Amino acid sequence: MLRFALTQTLSVAITLAVVLSLVFVAMRALPGDAAAILGGLDTEAAQVEALRRELGLDRPLIVQYGAYWGDVIRGDLGSSLRERRPVTAVLRERIPVTLALAAVAFTLALVAGLGVGLLAGRRSGGALDGAALGFTTVGLALPEFWFGFLLILFFAVQLGWFPVIGYPVEGDLGVRLWHLILPALTLAIPRAAQIARLARARLLEELAADYVRTARSKGVSARALSRHVAANALPGVLPLLALELGGLLTGTIVVEQVFGLPGLGLTLLGAIGARDYPVVQGVTILAVTVYIAVNWLADLLQIVADPRLRYA
Amino acid sequence: MIRLRIGIALAALVVASAVVGPWLVPHDPIRPDYGARYAAPSADHWLGTDGLGRDVLARSLAGGRVSLAIAAGATALALALGLVTGLAAAGWRGAGDVLLTRAFDALLAFPGFLLVLLLVAILGGGVWQTVLALGVAGSPLYFRLVRAFTRSELGRDYVLAGTALGASRARLVVRYALPNYVGALAVQAASTAATFLLVEASLSFLGLGVPLPTPSWGNVLQDARSYLTRQPWAAMGPGLVLATAALALQFLSDGFRDRLDRRG
Repeated sequence: MLRFALTQTLSVAITLAVVLSLVFVAMRALPGDAAAILGGLDTEAAQVEALRRELGLDRPLIVQYGAYWGDVIRGDLGSSLRERRPVTAVLRERIPVTLALAAVAFTLALVAGLGVGLLAGRRSGGALDGAALGFTTVGLALPEFWFGFLLILFFAVQLGWFPVIGYPVEGDLGVRLWHLILPALTLAIPRAAQIARLARARLLEELAADYVRTARSKGVSARALSRHVAANALPGVLPLLALELGGLLTGTIVVEQVFGLPGLGLTLLGAIGARDYPVVQGVTILAVTVYIAVNWLADLLQIVADPRLRYA
Repeated sequence: MIRLRIGIALAALVVASAVVGPWLVPHDPIRPDYGARYAAPSADHWLGTDGLGRDVLARSLAGGRVSLAIAAGATALALALGLVTGLAAAGWRGAGDVLLTRAFDALLAFPGFLLVLLLVAILGGGVWQTVLALGVAGSPLYFRLVRAFTRSELGRDYVLAGTALGASRARLVVRYALPNYVGALAVQAASTAATFLLVEASLSFLGLGVPLPTPSWGNVLQDARSYLTRQPWAAMGPGLVLATAALALQFLSDGFRDRLDRRG
């Protein structure tokens, strides 16, 4: 098992290295010259040249690439061109909003997805299964931001139960949570649909297995049986959960825009618009690293939860 | 079976609305009419007009053409890229295979929407740029599918028989193996097209996909958001059609799969 975990980890480390190199290339491929942007509209060519030297943009690419790795390893993400302060400071300010949103959304999606999927799979073809099929089909086809509009119109404008947009960064926990309910719901529905679909399929697959028939025929109690089935079926859902959770750090972009939440997504969007490339790079590095790390953890967790994989 | 039929019917409806619709609505979807800003729905403007006095229905219908064309084009591109590289990787094996697999793995290591966003930021907004970004971001899935399917088919007896008959490696991969899994690729393609429709709408909603004044479902909805509380119906029309289109493709994908399973 340890050997398996080690090879897995090594492979993840290689992927991360390749991906962070891709980010370096992508940032150089973005249109526009950082020095010219930093200088503003009416900067003399000589001044731009001085800025380029200051930012290290006049060095050969290979040297810049080395410096990039040095910075990444030291956790130095450079300075925002627009806000004129370290990118890490910008990120530290925005992360809590996105993290809170992602946590609420993921919890909702997890509970609703597993609940619907397992209830539907217990009796396939029944009325509950039909309702669940309706939910997952519609959930997967809903345009995220449009569903957000509907929630705003109905719950915020018509009923006035929730705030329309915005987020009080300084407010106390209850108030902040209140502002997160509708956006989190918007994010959760399609993800819950995806989780429900897979959970149902995994459960049906497992219920059709020979050991279930054998256990039933020798009179194993329903509770004991469901424990066995769950132990076999649920690890198969883990990779999807990791994809969803890991993707939420940037998957919130659209919803942050709809509901005006000042999180990482809006930061990335604003930085792309203003060509503030150090910030674009910072958000990208953070999002990709978290995404890869969460998936790696899920792989390890799956090996722990499903011993069969150790011999595969 | 019933899902396949519903899917075909809904898809036909959506495609027909995009193809024929713009001819039936007498308003120009692009030219502003400042005298008729923010008009409420009427016999003349079924969904009212937007901030530039343009008919929202006309813009939604014209936007459908753009959005559907982008989703279709991007799916075709993802499929083509994945097919060529996947067949090559399975055919060559060795170093070429390892290199291609590593490269696509690296693309897969990006959260999907972030990858599309970065590609669009690099390429710039526009219809073709959006197609290219979506196609590249979607290709790793097809590369993996084609490579895995081909390898598993190559292990079968009929391929061995083909080898004995003197068929070249390329012939084995393309003429022998490929026809056995095109159905599975079609199932996936319908589902990918649904995803691309929604992603393109999100991109254009964020102002990064199709640039104004060209309408697409996403940017018509972006526009509708700015006067959402005043004229909610402007957001209902294009949103419903977009959801219907995605639903139709989902049904098509599920329906194809049921059919394949029954035969398989």
